[in-house]
Amino acid sequence: MDTKNKNQKAIEVSNLIKRFRELTAVDCISFVVEKGEVFGFLGPNGAGRTTTIRMLIGLAKPTGGRAKIFGFDIQTEIIEAKRKMGIVPETSNVYDDLSAWDNLIFTAQLYGVSGSAANRKTEEFLKMFGLFDRRNYKVRDFSKGMKRKLAIAMGLVNDPQLLFLDEPTSGLDVESSSTIKKTINNLSKQGITIFLTTHNIEEANKNCDRVAIINHGKIVAIDTPEKLKNTIQSVQSVEVSFDKTVPFQEMSSLKEFSFIGKIEKLGDKYKIFTNKPEETLSILWDWSRRNKLKIVSLNTFGPSLEEVFIKLTKEK
Amino acid sequence: MSKKNIKNNLLAVWAITKKDVKIYYLKPSTLMFGIMFPLFMFFAFAVGRNMAPAILIPGLISLMVLFSASSIGPVAIPTERRVKTFERLVSAPISFYSIILGKALGGVLFSLFVSLIVLLAAWTFLGVVIANPLILALGLALASLCFSILGIMFAMFPTENPGDVMMMLNFIRLPLMFISGVFIPLENLPSWGKLISLFSPLTYANDLFRLGLGADIYFNFTVNLIMLLLFVGIFSFVGIKVNDKFKK
Repeated sequence: MDTKNKNQKAIEVSNLIKRFRELTAVDCISFVVEKGEVFGFLGPNGAGRTTTIRMLIGLAKPTGGRAKIFGFDIQTEIIEAKRKMGIVPETSNVYDDLSAWDNLIFTAQLYGVSGSAANRKTEEFLKMFGLFDRRNYKVRDFSKGMKRKLAIAMGLVNDPQLLFLDEPTSGLDVESSSTIKKTINNLSKQGITIFLTTHNIEEANKNCDRVAIINHGKIVAIDTPEKLKNTIQSVQSVEVSFDKTVPFQEMSSLKEFSFIGKIEKLGDKYKIFTNKPEETLSILWDWSRRNKLKIVSLNTFGPSLEEVFIKLTKEK
Repeated sequence: MSKKNIKNNLLAVWAITKKDVKIYYLKPSTLMFGIMFPLFMFFAFAVGRNMAPAILIPGLISLMVLFSASSIGPVAIPTERRVKTFERLVSAPISFYSIILGKALGGVLFSLFVSLIVLLAAWTFLGVVIANPLILALGLALASLCFSILGIMFAMFPTENPGDVMMMLNFIRLPLMFISGVFIPLENLPSWGKLISLFSPLTYANDLFRLGLGADIYFNFTVNLIMLLLFVGIFSFVGIKVNDKFKK
């Protein structure tokens, strides 16, 4: 069966549809995730993101279309497809009344890993996530971050080739969040394909090779983060700060130039949105000299992935 | 299904059973409920009616098995649905039958444990003799499986509230006590009562227990065995179909 794995895409989705009576939650979407890729799947609440994942992991039946995981059809070969996956849902669905050790051993056994192999893997992952010293404690007393780490360890215990990570850092403190981001990077280096859903656009920007944006059940964009940003060059910006406080009204006089759009005050800085950054820099230089101001810092920015996300999800 | 798949599914069945025993069945409150509830219910109906031990003990065991085997699944599954741990089982690479069997086995083991306590007490204090130990053991195992799956069948309704399932289950479970020869021997029932009793798995379980304890029986061993197996099949099938219907 594993021969089927060769030369297969990690995920192939074609014309996938999910309807709940009159509501079309997922509307004929198609995309491919390559092996070893970190693929971000973004979308606002109710866009069809969770429904798509639930279909891919076998928790929901598609109304139409097809999807394959490493060549295994999710409708006819779901058991084989599930063997390739590790799943870390948004809710850390760990068993509060079991110890961390028992949670991992149980998950290993669900995936056919038993005996010494299960013990070895359990020990390895508990150490990797810094939970080994608390292995015999009931999970009920764990913090949210510790439960999250345990849930990720449970998603990895079967050595998956494809890991579904749903909002991995949502609601976590900075330290736990940083540990989990490092783990994602390490897993990616090991060649594990990662299907990442997140509300944190910056997280997707930093971690993902490609992202897809879903809205109203349709894929509205799919590309690398940088290429997506280039699709909306009109929201480039220049950020400038001066040696003296400059009133907002004075700064607003720059709006007389047609290529300058919105101007925002950000603390001691001003953010000037423009579709011509070079001309804006030259104007700013002249303007500061005329007003006897010294420029302390000057940076140009392309559009952020967040701006792309907002633009695409509001537009369509 | 390949040999590896069968092995993996059996491993998962046992893992689910062990997990459920640890989380639900070994709780002191569950143990107390499993023993006290059917015992008091039995006393409520049997005390003062001058029943012979040959009817009394099989009836008590029938109630013990019915309530202990079918009570935890309908609480555990909706609770696991609410905290999303049931999704962990459903998203694992095992068949849904394995999940049902794993869940049912917890109920079977609990029911056998509770029945053994009753039998031990009956043997010690009432001098009850087990005439056919093998038949009694088989009857206990099969009836426990049947009632455990009955509870799980109701738990397949897609609710996250255990109360919803228990309400539906009790709507079926409580009438079963009165139409299955537990308190009134089947031969004493009116003809319409006898007809209704044919549709109750408790009728056949009670009859098997009576055979095991050397009392007179209404049907014969084979009929009781086949009917209990048939109910196991029906409850499993309906449970799977209900789950499929509500799978979103």
